[in-house]
Amino acid sequence: MNTCSCVYLDNAATTPVDPRVAERMIECLVPTGAHGNPSSAGHEFGRRARALVEKARAQVAATIGARPENIVWTSGATESDNLAILGAARFHADRGRHVVSAKTEHKAVLDALKQLEREGFEVTYLKPDAHGIVHPQQVKEAVRTDTQLVSLMHVNNETGVIQDVGAVGQFCRERGVLFHVDAAQSAGKLPLDVEALCIDLMSVTAHKAYGPKGVGALYVRRKPPVGLRPILHGGGQESGIRSGTLATHQIVGMGAAFEVAAAERDADVSRLRVLRDRLWQGIAAVGDVELNGHPEQRVTNLLNVSFHGVEGESLQFALRELAVSAGSACSSASEEASYVLRALGRSDQLAQSSLRFSLGRFTTNEDIDVAIAAVQREVQRLRQLGQGL
Amino acid sequence: MTAVTSPGPEYSDIVVDHFERPRNVGRFEPAADVIEGSAGRREQGAVFTLSAILSARVADSFIKSVRFKAYGCPHCIAAGSWLSERLVGCTQDELQRWSWREVAAATDIPPEKRGRLLILEDAVRALSEAWRLSV
Repeated sequence: MNTCSCVYLDNAATTPVDPRVAERMIECLVPTGAHGNPSSAGHEFGRRARALVEKARAQVAATIGARPENIVWTSGATESDNLAILGAARFHADRGRHVVSAKTEHKAVLDALKQLEREGFEVTYLKPDAHGIVHPQQVKEAVRTDTQLVSLMHVNNETGVIQDVGAVGQFCRERGVLFHVDAAQSAGKLPLDVEALCIDLMSVTAHKAYGPKGVGALYVRRKPPVGLRPILHGGGQESGIRSGTLATHQIVGMGAAFEVAAAERDADVSRLRVLRDRLWQGIAAVGDVELNGHPEQRVTNLLNVSFHGVEGESLQFALRELAVSAGSACSSASEEASYVLRALGRSDQLAQSSLRFSLGRFTTNEDIDVAIAAVQREVQRLRQLGQGL
Repeated sequence: MTAVTSPGPEYSDIVVDHFERPRNVGRFEPAADVIEGSAGRREQGAVFTLSAILSARVADSFIKSVRFKAYGCPHCIAAGSWLSERLVGCTQDELQRWSWREVAAATDIPPEKRGRLLILEDAVRALSEAWRLSV
C-alpha cells in the first residue's frame, strides 16, 4: 500500500525493492531460513548461506559479463568507488601518481580523488561538453606517462548521459592504464560487458535496480590481476579485499534484483522510453525549458529539465506532490547549485531551476498524467506571479 | 541533487497559505493615483514590484489597494502577498517607517531567508519614494 500521496519519480536516487526480490531476502532472515554466517562452513546454516551468496555472485557476474570470482561484495557504490580508486591508486603508487577523471563524477568518486590529492596524487578533472559528454579524445590527451588510473562514470546520475566507456577502456588497455567505471546508474538499465568494454574495475549497487540499499559490488579483473590495497581490515573475507561479515539477505537481494533486471531490461526500457517521451512532451509544452544532457546519448528513464523564469525553491515546493530531485541548493546543506549542471555550462540560475524526473519499473501512465498536469499548472502559475519583472 | 522534501517546519502555515493562494497578484495600469516601487534582480534570488492606488492626492491620503508581483522563493512570494494586504490603509508616514521585521515575525520566516526580505523592504521604500514624488 502506498502511504505517500506523492508520485514517485526519483528512481535515480533509489528504487523500491521489487516484491519478488524482497521475498527472497526474507528467506535469509527468519529462523527457518539461511540466516547463518556464510563464513561458518562447519554447519548447515553457514553452508546454506554460503551457497546463496555464491549463487548471487554468479547472478551479478552474469549481468555484467564477468566471472563470479571477479565480484567483491561491498556496502554499495560509494564503498566500491572508494575501494577501486583508493585501493588501486595506493597499490600502484610506484607506477605513477596521476589519475584522470571528470568534473561530473559522483561525489563518491570526486571525494575519493580529493583524498588521493591529499596523499600526494595529482588528478586531472576533464570538463564535459555542453551536453555532458566526456570525449574519449579528451582522455587520450590527458593521460601521461605517470597516469596509473582513469575513472569515468558510465551513466551520469543527474543527467542520464551515457559515456563511451568502451572507447576509453580500449585506449586505457592499450596504454596499460587501469580503468575504473562507476556503473551505479547503468547496471540493469544498459547492456554491460566488462570484457568487451575493457574495464578493470567497476562499481555497481543494488538499490538503483530494485534491490536493497546497503549492498553493492566491485568488479575486479583477475587476469591479469588488478592489485588493490584494502580499505577495510578484519576477517579477510572476499579474498582479503573486503573484510566484514557477508550480509546474506542483502547479497541475495542484489543477485535476485540483477537477475530480474537482466531478464526484463528490454521490456522495461521500451515501456519507460514511451513514458519518458510523453512526460517530456508534456513538460516541453509549457515552453522556455531546457533539457539538460545529451538529447540522444542518455538512458531512457531520466529527464533533467531547467525551467526559465521560475525560481528553484518555489518550483520544488509547488511540485511537492511529485517526489523528484532538484538542482537547487536552497533546501540542501550544499551551498552550490548542481555542480554537474554548472560543469555543462548552465548558469547558476538555470541550475537552481532544474528538476530531475527519473522513472522506474513501477511508474504508471497515471503517474505521468499527474506529473504533466502538476508541472504545467505550477510553472504557469509561478511564471505569472513574476511576469514582467 | 537534493531530494525535494514535503512541507516541513521551514514553511509555516501562513507561508504555505500565501504561497498557494497569493492575494492581490498583478499590477495597476498607470494612472494619476497609482504609484509603483520595485527592487531586486533575479540573480539576487528575489524581485518585487508593488503598485498601489492612493485614496486621494493629498498629503494625508492612504493606500486604498495594493497589487504585487514577485519572483523568488516561497517565503518571498508569501511575504509579498502578506504585505499586499497589510499595506492597505497605510499613510505615507507609515509606509516610510515600514520594516521587514514585521513580515518576518508575522509569517515566521527563518533567519537565513531574512536577507531577501530586505529586498522587499527596498521595494516598499521605492513605493514610498514614488508617493513622495507624486504629491
